[in-house]
Amino acid sequence: MLPTSEASPLTTDNGAIDDAVRRAQQGDIAAFETIYHASAPAVYRLCRRMVGDDCEARELVQDVFVRAWEKLPTFRNQSALGTWLHRLAANLVIQHLRSAGRRATRFIEVDPDMSAPTRAVAIDSRLDADAAIARLPDGARSVLALHLEGYSHDEIAQMMGIAAGTARTQLFRARRALMHLLEA
Amino acid sequence: MTDFIHLTEEDRQTLADGTMPEPRAREAEAHLRECGACTADVDALRRVVSRLQRPSVDASPADEMWPDVRLRIEQAKLVPLHPGSRVRERAKRTPIWIASGLAAAMIVIGLLASLNSVHRKAAESAPSADAADVADAGVPLTAVNDSVRSYEAEARILLDRLELERATIGPTAMAPLDRDLAVIDRAIAELQAAIASDPNNPALRRLLAASYRQKVDLLRRARNAG
Repeated sequence: MLPTSEASPLTTDNGAIDDAVRRAQQGDIAAFETIYHASAPAVYRLCRRMVGDDCEARELVQDVFVRAWEKLPTFRNQSALGTWLHRLAANLVIQHLRSAGRRATRFIEVDPDMSAPTRAVAIDSRLDADAAIARLPDGARSVLALHLEGYSHDEIAQMMGIAAGTARTQLFRARRALMHLLEA
Repeated sequence: MTDFIHLTEEDRQTLADGTMPEPRAREAEAHLRECGACTADVDALRRVVSRLQRPSVDASPADEMWPDVRLRIEQAKLVPLHPGSRVRERAKRTPIWIASGLAAAMIVIGLLASLNSVHRKAAESAPSADAADVADAGVPLTAVNDSVRSYEAEARILLDRLELERATIGPTAMAPLDRDLAVIDRAIAELQAAIASDPNNPALRRLLAASYRQKVDLLRRARNAG
């Protein structure tokens, strides 16, 4: 499973990256730096979209790559490195949202165009997409971010511990909320 | 299908993102040709889907974060952690936005205490020739030196920006920051003097890297707060 919506550096695993992975698995930090620079922008974008905050996203990117360094010896090239890193990042963000006392399953409960908060922010008519995404509830934002990275409803549901139908509904509601935010 | 039975929410969403299967998609498109309300709604959803798929225009800050990642990896090597303890470590880590000058001062005090300890150990037993190339617990000395250089360069850039912004910040707000920077700079100067007299001591270089990291963190916080 690979991101489908954006041209991600993680989708372009090539010989150089494969070689860097092999060397990094032997403890070569310079090789790991090559992997980092090739993949960190996409990991940052995923974290930024999932948490909606730049400072948190930066800390999470650090966590993802420290964890990746620790787990890299177990990476067996059965999946692309990008897919592996994406999954690692998504799981860490979900874990972070839960451990930080935030509700990773905080979703949009009602039709978004009828909700007061949505109406309140709709006056900000020049929001860019990322800023608008940041205003979604944690759970809905996570579902949307994972969908944008190419995960299926079933995969999102499994990662977040929710029903596939809930993942689908939250995606639809998130789009509705963004429609009002972006087109107000 | 008639104009009086509009498309469902799922129909509209899957039409907008192109995931509606045939032959349902053909039927839905036929409805859109006759129903202005559904057409307008699906078009609006398509614009949202298209906009979300555009790459963000913001530059990624990922490159500037590599020194932090590298230092954390090196620190993890120095102090082996039990499986799963990384998560606990993260939970304990002070969030960037609440770290204060007091924390900076405490860390520098800790660094200076470590410096004294390192000096005592060095006096007891001079480092062997092997220690010149490899730091404690297998961390290459060159890696520590690279971290020092990275932090030093970033600190210089952040200081330049701070100088440009100094006039707009005001002396009252700048005073605590200047005081904390002076404390850290004093620790850096002492470490550099110690390294000059004991250039092959890896512990001193790690302390220097930690001091520079503290300085960069402080400057970043000041910039974010501004």
